[in-house]
Amino acid sequence: MSRHEISLTVNGERYELEVEANRTLLQLLREDLELTGTKQACERGDCGLCTVLLDGVPTKSCLVLAVEVDGREVTTVEGLSRGEELTPVQRAFIEQGAVQCGFCTPAFILAGEALLKHNPRPTEEEVKEAVGGILCRCTGYRQIIDAILDASKSAKK
Amino acid sequence: MPLPKFDYLRPQTTEELAATLAEHGADAKLFAGGTDLIVVMRDKLVRPKYVIDIKGIEELRELSWDERRGLTIGAAVTLSELIASEVVRERFGALWKAAGTLADPTIRNRATLVGNICNASPAADTAPALLVLWAEVEIVSANGKRVIPIREFFKGVKRTALEQGEFVRAVRVPNPPEGAKEDYLKWGRTRGEDLAVVGVAGLVANSGKKLVRIALSSVAPTPLIVPEVEGVFKGGGSVEGQIDKAASIVVEKISPISDVRAGKEYRLHMAGVLTKQILKRILGAS
Repeated sequence: MSRHEISLTVNGERYELEVEANRTLLQLLREDLELTGTKQACERGDCGLCTVLLDGVPTKSCLVLAVEVDGREVTTVEGLSRGEELTPVQRAFIEQGAVQCGFCTPAFILAGEALLKHNPRPTEEEVKEAVGGILCRCTGYRQIIDAILDASKSAKK
Repeated sequence: MPLPKFDYLRPQTTEELAATLAEHGADAKLFAGGTDLIVVMRDKLVRPKYVIDIKGIEELRELSWDERRGLTIGAAVTLSELIASEVVRERFGALWKAAGTLADPTIRNRATLVGNICNASPAADTAPALLVLWAEVEIVSANGKRVIPIREFFKGVKRTALEQGEFVRAVRVPNPPEGAKEDYLKWGRTRGEDLAVVGVAGLVANSGKKLVRIALSSVAPTPLIVPEVEGVFKGGGSVEGQIDKAASIVVEKISPISDVRAGKEYRLHMAGVLTKQILKRILGAS
């Protein structure tokens, strides 16, 4: 199997790594960089819990090969807060009780961040569409949608 | 679980890709968005020795339009890029709508239109629209280039007209006839992410004689166009009568199966219902 040298930026930090061809971005993040905020679940692109931002775009990391991200920029949930200071989306998730078991929370927060970045005042329909690829196994969608809508309002103030 | 082992190759030009495929074609799989390939590799349904990533080839990123040639969608163009295109939304409405029903927005950020047709699922969301729009598939290999109509591209469940060593460079969609109206309806079990129970695309235009096209997905081994529909509208009678006749022809010509998403009988019924609905919309009948 081929091995490849790659360099990538994760949460603002640069890494030089050697990866085997069959390594996924999800494995690289969790196992090599020990960034376990990104969750491993279905591993077939159905549940979306492994969602990260690849050059700012929400992407299911279980379907991305590590070798492909050479030269690119990845943001995981660990890269959002500045020290203790949470983002508006993160704060809204706490205030709305949008975290239940917590397993899907990183994915929803990243999808929410990406949405608000290019659409700061989304409608409820737009929020639902944007998070449509992520499953909450507790089915607590109401609070998640409300949290992202709340964050959009508070960020504007 | 790690994926099975393979070598990763990333050609930079279509010439290099054609040469790589000529050498390793039998043991290789092309990799664009990976939203189908990684899943079947994980399930060990395919075990390629070589995974050839086409995303390094600049030429395959082409998404362009002009008055004469129509739309060109390169093999590495994602569905999100297609949906973001103003030209696609304004001039190729059925395709734009169909692209927006495929899976979910996160998948669409990676998945490609060319990958959708090369995967050749009977449920391929973009296929009915491409069929009614008379799309063509540009196929390249080390031996040259050929262009075939999309209706000759699908050969069976997960089988296409591609021969070993060939790849799809682009899908070309001619401009719809003057004054054409087109639409796409996807019937699924939920409003969210799901494969189609039935998908129907329709196109009508008056270019001297009445032109009516209907194509469907998830109702036969391949997505298909039902050319017999057109004849119905060449005869006389009320539009409502013609629409009913067209729907009954569609139901006759399809061969759906029962699966986890729906029974065969339900699919037959809904194919008729959706055909009527879409024809009423685009013919402007009440």
